[in-house]
Amino acid sequence: MSLTTDTLSRPDDGDAAHRRPRVTTNRQRVTWVAAAMTVLLVAGAAWSLSIGSQHIDLSTLPRAIFHARTTDELIVHSIRLPRVVLALCVGAGLAVAGALMQGVAANPLAAPEIMGVNAGAVLVVVLAVTVVPGLAGAPTILLAFGGAAAAGVTVMMLAGSGRGRVSPVRLALAGVTASTLLISLTQVLIIFDENSTDSVMFWLVGGVNNATWRDIGNLLPWLVIGLVGSFAMARPLNLLALGEDMARGLGQNVERTRLIGSALVVVLCGAAVSVAGPVAFIGLIVPHITRRLVGSSYVVLLPLCAIGGGVLVLYADIVSRYVKPPFEVPAGVVTALIGAPIFVYLARRQKVTS
Amino acid sequence: MTVSTVVAQHVRRTSLAKRHPGILMGSLGVLALLLTFYGLKVGATAVSLGDVLRALVGDTSTQASQIVVQFQLPRVLLCWLVGTALAVSGAVMQGVIRNPLAAPDIIGVTKGAGFAGMLLLLAIPGVSAVAVVPAAFIGGVLAAALVYLLAYRRGATPVRIALVGIAVSAAFEAGIRFLLVRNPLDVSAALIWLTGSLFGRSMTSVLEILPWVLVLVPLIVVWSRKLDVLGLGDDLAAGLGEPVEKTRRLLLFFAVALAAAAVAVAGTIGFVGLIAPHMARRVFGGKHLASIPAAALFGVLLMLIADMLGRGLAPPLEIPAGLVTAVVGGPYFLYLLVKTGK
Repeated sequence: MSLTTDTLSRPDDGDAAHRRPRVTTNRQRVTWVAAAMTVLLVAGAAWSLSIGSQHIDLSTLPRAIFHARTTDELIVHSIRLPRVVLALCVGAGLAVAGALMQGVAANPLAAPEIMGVNAGAVLVVVLAVTVVPGLAGAPTILLAFGGAAAAGVTVMMLAGSGRGRVSPVRLALAGVTASTLLISLTQVLIIFDENSTDSVMFWLVGGVNNATWRDIGNLLPWLVIGLVGSFAMARPLNLLALGEDMARGLGQNVERTRLIGSALVVVLCGAAVSVAGPVAFIGLIVPHITRRLVGSSYVVLLPLCAIGGGVLVLYADIVSRYVKPPFEVPAGVVTALIGAPIFVYLARRQKVTS
Repeated sequence: MTVSTVVAQHVRRTSLAKRHPGILMGSLGVLALLLTFYGLKVGATAVSLGDVLRALVGDTSTQASQIVVQFQLPRVLLCWLVGTALAVSGAVMQGVIRNPLAAPDIIGVTKGAGFAGMLLLLAIPGVSAVAVVPAAFIGGVLAAALVYLLAYRRGATPVRIALVGIAVSAAFEAGIRFLLVRNPLDVSAALIWLTGSLFGRSMTSVLEILPWVLVLVPLIVVWSRKLDVLGLGDDLAAGLGEPVEKTRRLLLFFAVALAAAAVAVAGTIGFVGLIAPHMARRVFGGKHLASIPAAALFGVLLMLIADMLGRGLAPPLEIPAGLVTAVVGGPYFLYLLVKTGK
């Protein structure tokens, strides 16, 4: 079975009859990874809440979450807490979307950033905001879905026939070129719209500063739909990972799995990008790192990607504030700087296929 | 099979362009000259044809002719130089790496040079713009070397070079944005530099890139036979007495140097180095002696058109030429990708 090569079946497993099916990964290890990620997440959240131009004592935090009476509590409640929550939401959405995409496309370089999905969402949102000034919230998210879907489908069709496997290299080249094109068009729009120059950096690299509770309110329903839907897809994705023929032989409707998976990718990316801009590389690197840590069963991979993506964006946002206060480097720049070396590593590992 | 289809096939095989490359190349040149002349006229301020002519013969008595000499002339000259540099650089890279997808953008030169130029400008405030060119040059060369080294693993395959190039470019891109945020300049001015524009360039920029083009392009044309030999494959080329590795490295260095010089004066203009050589090869065939000058002409035409569109679409707003080339070049690249896959 092809799947076991990636899972953690140890040589001393010996008595296979007593073990659960080998698709399940080592439970102890999963527990450890999950625990470590959770600790990182909680520590990062506390760190992120306490830093800024005004240092705030951690003891204020529990009170500030629910009400805001003192200045400190107000800062935490209305500025820093939404920022943390948004980082977690966006990271979770993009990372899970990346894992889904790699599963659906059976391609290690499939990721919303590489395939132009994020750039497509951004272009449509910027277009909408330029045409209808003051547009925000729910309608922009719906438009972002359209942009994400259109870009993703186009790149997939350009990269290959759309059936079976597309070579990772062709996918990457087509996707990156399409992204460049979409970003250029976005820049043209931004240049035309003089009012929006402030938002240039935001729409080009993304970040979670200036997060508001309203953003989170807009994002949350879609995020929940996307995440719950993805987790429900775990077993079909595991079957699909065995190969298309095998999955079909086991009675799976491969086309339906692909379609639903792609739709969930669009929902997760569109929602995340319309609120936080195109934060780079999360969907590519988090699934790869997580897969390294816990194996490739989607049952554990997807939830841990959600946590891992949140952790990465959270820390990227923290770093972004430490680089040169009071200026904030957008979190998307930080994730791109982290992500590029990992992309190089993945590229070096690619077997030469084309 | 009718007579006409036979004739049609025959004509297609030995098209006019391939039998008499001089004729078509000459008409491309004339077209470029016409566009150049028209480019002197287009701009935020309307300039009459007479003023252009007056300015060209050295009479700068009217205000309009001064505008032509001061603002438009450096721009069209830069279109020629930058277009030539990028296109020839791309043609050499594609020949040397034997990969139709190789280009200054893909191999990391563009973003590396952009990053280095920016770093110098911001690290040393008030540094002379003259110093930016060597800095960008070094940045571009280093970035290309980095891509080559990172892609090297029992040989650097074109595929790995392309993928690593994408990643390294993304890192430099992030670096550029990082510098931008750290030093909040006028964002729109920075954006114009980033995307590649000839806005506000003066004769100084022309003089900065001129020596590179004047020295390297003729050298490359003279050496174009070496590129043809390299195209035969390493073994055959070595059998013909060509020191393959040495030639390859030197030619690559020339190509990287040209691209770096172009980025240094004009910012990160994308896709010209990729698509101009393709157009040239399609029309003039694979012989480098013909295809390299042709690529240069196509590069010049692309730059002239992109710069003119950028100026003329929505005056007084300037759309950077780099954005126009990306919007035109992106689809062409995707088309190439689809075509090479079949």
